[in-house]
Amino acid sequence: MPLTPAEIERYRRQIMIEGWDVAGQERLQSATVFIAGAGGLGSPVSMYLAACGVGTLRICDCGEPELSNLNRQILHDDSRIGINKAVSARQTLNQLNPHVNIIALPEAITDHTIAELAGNASLIVDCLDNFETRHVLNRYAVKKKIPLIHGAIHGFNGQVSVFHTPRTPCLACIFPPEVPPEIFPVAGFTPGVIGLLQATETIKILLGLGSPLYGTLLIWDGALADFQKIAICKSPACTVCGAQA
Amino acid sequence: MHTQLSEQERERYHRQIILPGWGPEAQETIKNAHVFIAGAGGLGSPVSMYLAAAGVGTLRICDCGEPELSNLNRQILHDDSRIGINKALSAKQTLEQLNPDIRVEARTDIIDDDSVAEIIGEVDLIMDCLDNFDTRHVLNRYALREHIPMVHGGVSGMNGQITFLHPPETPCLWCIQPGSPPPVLFPIVGATAGVIGTLQALEALKYLSGVGKVLKSNLLVWDGATMDFMTLPQKKNPACPVCGDDVA
Repeated sequence: MPLTPAEIERYRRQIMIEGWDVAGQERLQSATVFIAGAGGLGSPVSMYLAACGVGTLRICDCGEPELSNLNRQILHDDSRIGINKAVSARQTLNQLNPHVNIIALPEAITDHTIAELAGNASLIVDCLDNFETRHVLNRYAVKKKIPLIHGAIHGFNGQVSVFHTPRTPCLACIFPPEVPPEIFPVAGFTPGVIGLLQATETIKILLGLGSPLYGTLLIWDGALADFQKIAICKSPACTVCGAQA
Repeated sequence: MHTQLSEQERERYHRQIILPGWGPEAQETIKNAHVFIAGAGGLGSPVSMYLAAAGVGTLRICDCGEPELSNLNRQILHDDSRIGINKALSAKQTLEQLNPDIRVEARTDIIDDDSVAEIIGEVDLIMDCLDNFDTRHVLNRYALREHIPMVHGGVSGMNGQITFLHPPETPCLWCIQPGSPPPVLFPIVGATAGVIGTLQALEALKYLSGVGKVLKSNLLVWDGATMDFMTLPQKKNPACPVCGDDVA
């Protein structure tokens, strides 16, 4: 669907980017992205993807905002305590950009539900807080051959990578199937920084701009504001993407 | 007046209070802090929203402009309903909704050498969220005179930079960027301003809480297209007309 003059004006400053153009903006408009999690990472990811005009966002979270979430989960505020996070997200995102279609999915992500939840998304953004569910996303992304933009945080630290097999390793090549969940410390800006790096990678992939973090894990130490890139390799014995899988 | 954390605030900020070295003490310091945010646009949006969410007690945010449609791809403080009202006033509305425990003061004035002292007043920290170097240098001169630290952020296209300025320990902004490049309407991706703005918020909270190490005498430069981060050491210019040896 061609952009209206009002939409072209709204996105003018990014359409000016070399290689973006009106055609790129129309590609964003026709894209569907699945955002798993509407918490600390999901807040900046969904808000910036909505603001820049990604046409359809399917956002999924089965939890409700709690008071102790509000130091960082800027999708929500005190008035949303007690309603579902995905539903609260839809309210914030609709207000932020009425041109974007927001689908709220207040459900748990499992191997049984993932296909229906992700729908026709061409890309998945991992904004989760536990590795068990991350591996559900990973298995699905490998099967569908779609990119998975991984982000995770702990305290002042965070990491980002782009998994897209068979071109890159998958999540299971480098992280064990299950890391036990815990209540970890988290300052607001940590998921802010990591979520925005994920949003940047998402936009680059949807538009074919720049070089995304394929086969590279970006590790961030917020206490020192220090970033490191680590090359990551496929595991031939990987039970998800390996030769035996 | 120094105020303590309520039970409810302890719960709200619990996940950061448990950060190593943070504790209720640092949270209380943050609650009693005053931060000035110059600009309520692409950088000012994430900076003010994350500082508000983290519980910085008083935010004074200044912008003389109004949100335009072409701002909304990145300025998440504002939305279509705010077009036509002042940006600082729009910001105050968004931030008070985000965290009713903090105090937000909106200033709608133009920042220049005559108005800057009255606009900023006594604050613990200045956040440079501007889009032009002429006004940045006004902030720089005031910060230097009043010995207030300043977190500089700047973006263009898919690139950005950030540093923590606190002369005489560090260079001043003029040492790093003498003069002003001519103002141009540059392209800008929302997420780029978001990355640099959240990094600025991080520097502010590290400084206020005393946890971690701020980017003193280092310019962090980010290339969003390649995801390359570089830390470039910065030196004071002894002949700097703003902070140099010959300045009386």
